[in-house]
Amino acid sequence: MLGCARLAVLQQLEYRFNLVADTIIQPVIVGLVEITLWLTFFASTGQSELVGFGREFYLAYAIWAAFIARLSASWMYEMQMIEDIETGTVNSILVRPISFFEYYLGQLLGYKALITVISLIAPLVICVALDLPLMVERIPLALALVFYFIVFGHIISLMIASLGFFFSRVHHLTVAKNITLWMLTGEFFPLDLAPEPLRSLLVALPFSSAAFRPVGYLTGRLPIESIYDGFISVTVGILVLAPLATLMWNAGRRRYSGTGA
Amino acid sequence: MTANIETLNLTRTYETYKKPEGLLKSVQGLWARKIEKKIALHPTTLRIDSGQIVGLVGSNGAGKTTLLKVLSGLIHPSAGTAEVLGYKPTSRDPEFLRRISILLGQKNQLWWDLPPADSYDLLARIYEIELPTARERVRELSQLLQCTEQLHIQLRRLSLGERMKMEIIGALLHQPDVLFLDEPTIGLDIIAQTTIRNFLMKYVKERRPTVILTSHYMDDISLLADRLLLMSQGRIVYDGTVNEFAGRSESRQTLSLKILQPPTRDVQILDHFVVAAGSLAIKEELPASAIGDVLQALMAMSAVQEIKIEEVEFEDVIRSFMEKDARLRAPGGAAAARV
Repeated sequence: MLGCARLAVLQQLEYRFNLVADTIIQPVIVGLVEITLWLTFFASTGQSELVGFGREFYLAYAIWAAFIARLSASWMYEMQMIEDIETGTVNSILVRPISFFEYYLGQLLGYKALITVISLIAPLVICVALDLPLMVERIPLALALVFYFIVFGHIISLMIASLGFFFSRVHHLTVAKNITLWMLTGEFFPLDLAPEPLRSLLVALPFSSAAFRPVGYLTGRLPIESIYDGFISVTVGILVLAPLATLMWNAGRRRYSGTGA
Repeated sequence: MTANIETLNLTRTYETYKKPEGLLKSVQGLWARKIEKKIALHPTTLRIDSGQIVGLVGSNGAGKTTLLKVLSGLIHPSAGTAEVLGYKPTSRDPEFLRRISILLGQKNQLWWDLPPADSYDLLARIYEIELPTARERVRELSQLLQCTEQLHIQLRRLSLGERMKMEIIGALLHQPDVLFLDEPTIGLDIIAQTTIRNFLMKYVKERRPTVILTSHYMDDISLLADRLLLMSQGRIVYDGTVNEFAGRSESRQTLSLKILQPPTRDVQILDHFVVAAGSLAIKEELPASAIGDVLQALMAMSAVQEIKIEEVEFEDVIRSFMEKDARLRAPGGAAAARV
């Protein structure tokens, strides 16, 4: 798997311009958009606090959510997995002693490690420059939860990609999933702003570990227990979805006709 | 000799969706689709011994690639069984995958964005080969294939021939015991074809892997294979040595000659051979047994300036065999009559 992680890093480094756009420009733009939204909200309502947290907390949340949610997303490799199955490129993996899941998980983690190293500087600089709440010592644990969530997200990607064995085109499902995750992860707004019982449900789901829990923890909104709960919630998610993903993959493989070669 | 590959009634059926033209039919296709089943591989029983080099020949859609895909574990058979090196291919046992290799000539298997040298490093990790050993093998193979200079250039920037050489190195890096080569020289210029053909000839002679090779270029088959399997419409229609096949098939020769006095009217020499009025040059493919009589008839008709008799190419012999087989299998043909 380390070899696959290395492959992803090498591939990203081949295209310098794309790498800068991906790791710096894109998260900065998303962060700026979210900051603008929160500034507009506080300015238009005249409020200085929302559910006990001041404007600075929300600005810090917006900046870190843009970075962390991007880190936990797996759609880039999911698209590639779908395309591999649709076009028959998956053949080159199936004939080698490595699993499709492991091959892409390795690449995904390698790619995420690279963008973490490069992108982390942007939210740090912005938080320091704007004097926003941030607990630097909490970064490692928050990132550990995000990387654990990536494994869970990758299982969902395998399930979606496996549908490619049954239907000719399934790309749009990834798009629909991304929009859903935008809300479920807490990238769009902190999940504790939702009314009960939706709030409890959203926080309990493993998806909250993709943005809400790590960002809340980093910015001082959530205690360390929420990170532990996140690990438990993601573990339950993995235990539930992994067998289902295996079933879907095996059923798909039996249908596969080796298209395109 | 031990069997490396054994199949018993191995069958593969594909399902295809047929959509009649038109917008209305497309809309109807949202809930009702006409699925058709096509048998790509009829029940096939086969035994290939260790170290054999088998040439698999047939027209497009004959079932060659399907057979290779089932044997390499890429696709599941619809019925029957297959065993390769004692493993069931679809189980994807890592030990089995470490001992086979499949090269699909029309598909890249190395990484498009990376120089081949980086891809080989990754393959070394996947196949658990020590890095120095893998690099030494790459050096040797690239020298034999005359492509050392291209090892550090992105794959996407290489020519088709160079890419194929790199794919071959990738396929052989782990020194497989069974090698499936699907059209390794397809689309290549004559120089690249010759280099690859010569390389494969040397490689299989030295390492003696079991090879199944499909190719549209008969030179590949006649030079490399010691056993020939002809496939037609999902069935193996001939299984024997290349030499036996050439001997068994009706021997044919091409007769070319120039005559001095062209005939003033059409002259019928044989049932399907007519010399047209005014012809000065004649060229015809004929059964070898008829050449003497035809020559006699032509020389009686006119003085002959130049005569050339050539053996028909192996490719033409196969084509003629396949055409005959297709005629027999066509509705109303002898094969249909037997059923």
